[in-house]
Amino acid sequence: MTTQPTTTEAGEPPEPDLKARSVVMHTDPRFLELRARLLRFVVPATIAFLCWYLLYVVMSAFARDVMSTQLVGPLNLALLFGLLQFVSTFGIAVAYARYANRRLDPLADDLRTELENGEAR
Amino acid sequence: MNVLAQADVSSEGRLITVVLFTVMIAVTLLITVWASRRVNSASDFHSGGRGFSGIQNGFAIGSDYMSAASFLGIAGTIALFGYDGFLYSIGFLVAWLVALLLVAELLRNSGRYTMADVLSYRMRQRPVRTAASVSTLTVSIFYLLAQMVGAGALIALLLGIQPGETYLGMSADTAKIAGIVVVGILMIVYVTFGGMTGTTWVQIIKAGMLMGGAALLTIMVLAVYNFNFAALMNDAAEASGVGAAFLEPGQVYGREVAGDAWQTMVNKLDLISLGLALVLGTAGLPHILIRFYTVPDAKTARKSVNWGIGLIGTFYLMTLVLGFGAAAMVGRDAITAQNAAGNTAAPQLAEEVGAHFGGDLLAAVMLALIAAVAFAAILSTVAGLTIASSSSLAHDFYNNVLRRGQASERDEIRVAKMAAFGVGTIAIVLAVFAQNLNVAFLVALAFAIAASANLPTILLSLFWKRFNTTGALAGIYGGLLAAVGLVFFSPVVSGKTDADGNSLSLFPAGVDFAWFPLENPALASVPIGLLCAVVGTLASRETDPARFAELQVRALTGAGAEGAANH
Repeated sequence: MTTQPTTTEAGEPPEPDLKARSVVMHTDPRFLELRARLLRFVVPATIAFLCWYLLYVVMSAFARDVMSTQLVGPLNLALLFGLLQFVSTFGIAVAYARYANRRLDPLADDLRTELENGEAR
Repeated sequence: MNVLAQADVSSEGRLITVVLFTVMIAVTLLITVWASRRVNSASDFHSGGRGFSGIQNGFAIGSDYMSAASFLGIAGTIALFGYDGFLYSIGFLVAWLVALLLVAELLRNSGRYTMADVLSYRMRQRPVRTAASVSTLTVSIFYLLAQMVGAGALIALLLGIQPGETYLGMSADTAKIAGIVVVGILMIVYVTFGGMTGTTWVQIIKAGMLMGGAALLTIMVLAVYNFNFAALMNDAAEASGVGAAFLEPGQVYGREVAGDAWQTMVNKLDLISLGLALVLGTAGLPHILIRFYTVPDAKTARKSVNWGIGLIGTFYLMTLVLGFGAAAMVGRDAITAQNAAGNTAAPQLAEEVGAHFGGDLLAAVMLALIAAVAFAAILSTVAGLTIASSSSLAHDFYNNVLRRGQASERDEIRVAKMAAFGVGTIAIVLAVFAQNLNVAFLVALAFAIAASANLPTILLSLFWKRFNTTGALAGIYGGLLAAVGLVFFSPVVSGKTDADGNSLSLFPAGVDFAWFPLENPALASVPIGLLCAVVGTLASRETDPARFAELQVRALTGAGAEGAANH
């Protein structure tokens, strides 16, 4: 067993062993769990923010009466909606970082160490 | 309050501007000299040795993205048209979630130097790398051309050279050309000698200056209004001449044309098409993608995108204050007298608030400071585009297509430097010839190509097992041709005139071969690109499940990913 978890020299493809182990890993339940965890966050979040953004743009184009509703002082719905896009973007970014640190990184680190060290399961 | 027209930029003020520009150039060249000693391997040249931290790369990401065009352009659009400038900026920000959630980490794990590394991983190398290289060069050169043509005009404006007057022996027209040439030469020098290491440090410094300059100006504007943002908004709306409509969508994008329901509908669909291009295009821009390779691992790539999102979001919020501030304090007439598109709104605002707090001297200092920030912004964005082009030419086309991956690192670096020189020279020549053409549409086109050709094929490579070489080629070329073709036959290239019959298109008035009504093609070209990729895939029987398994395991776990170089 080697103790060389880092990469090969630039210019060389990953060693053949790693390739073979990666192919086996692709159907490993732990890898399937990692992929499922990633998709479980990423797919709904992407659909949500894309719909939320498109709703904003479509309303800016087609629902100007609604968007011009005055809320407080000079603040109208259009500005509030725009500012909420900032809030949702920052929020999703922070939520994803927390989720990835907790649910993705530890598992991905384990699998990577195992793949690169060539440990048998 | 509009006492200071820029026509009487004091000569001291201009001197400060010139001194600051010179200091900027000197500092960036010193960085380049320092970096050139550290560029020894291909990894150093293309990826800065992959040793940058999340914060550093986050600043560089922000720097690549917040060009002078977006700093001065968005502030100017808000100053002249209010809400729509803000609407425009939001697409640029939300787009980063696509990069964060779907692209940054997976790309970092599976590629080495270029976008093509990921696209070609499980495909036949040479055709896919060629296609990716064509797409990379098209996007980068279009974007570069728009930036450089803008740079020439901006430098003339920042130096305050009016038509008919000369400064340092330059008229406004020669200053424009001199600006293009100087910017072009500097970007070639940064990239050729400093590689990604030097370019990244230039970008980090620029982002620091941009954020600092914008923050200072924002605080000063708010201080004028005793930090009462509502009062600022009211003043801006009142000064705009359109009242409350200034704070609502519809002054620029999706404009309603009285009595013309068709054109109104076209304008509104155009807005949605633009929004789609911005939000899906960012994560397919080659110069953005290669930034993810400059960090040691996927986790750092994620951190750097989050830093980028924080910086870019904060910056656009400040731009909103600056735009409203310019509308209220400088005023529409004074801005359009300088530049019809409003590009001088931010420097003019700096002068105005400077005068408010410290008289003529502070006015001159603030103007020079913001002009220097804009100058730094020009330099760093064009450098990022040049390195994206040269890396793709050297790594994808020269090494992997022509030499079938057998070229030595030294050869690859040598070709990359030659490519940077070649691309830079071509960009200078094209920009000088295009300097009086309306090329602003090229930025939106670059985003549309990235959204139609690059992003779909990257995602299908990573997630669709059946995807294959034919599909990748069809997707890249199909999306690219659809975006470019539709724009060619749109009103931005021919057939659009103003009320007096003057051309608003690339071609002069009288030439009209436009049949595609939208100025932004993404609404049609993204589905076309995706469809081409799917149909192309199904038309070929090629599959390689083992390579797909390998790519996906590598992308998600980071096993076998390139690590940081040891220096």
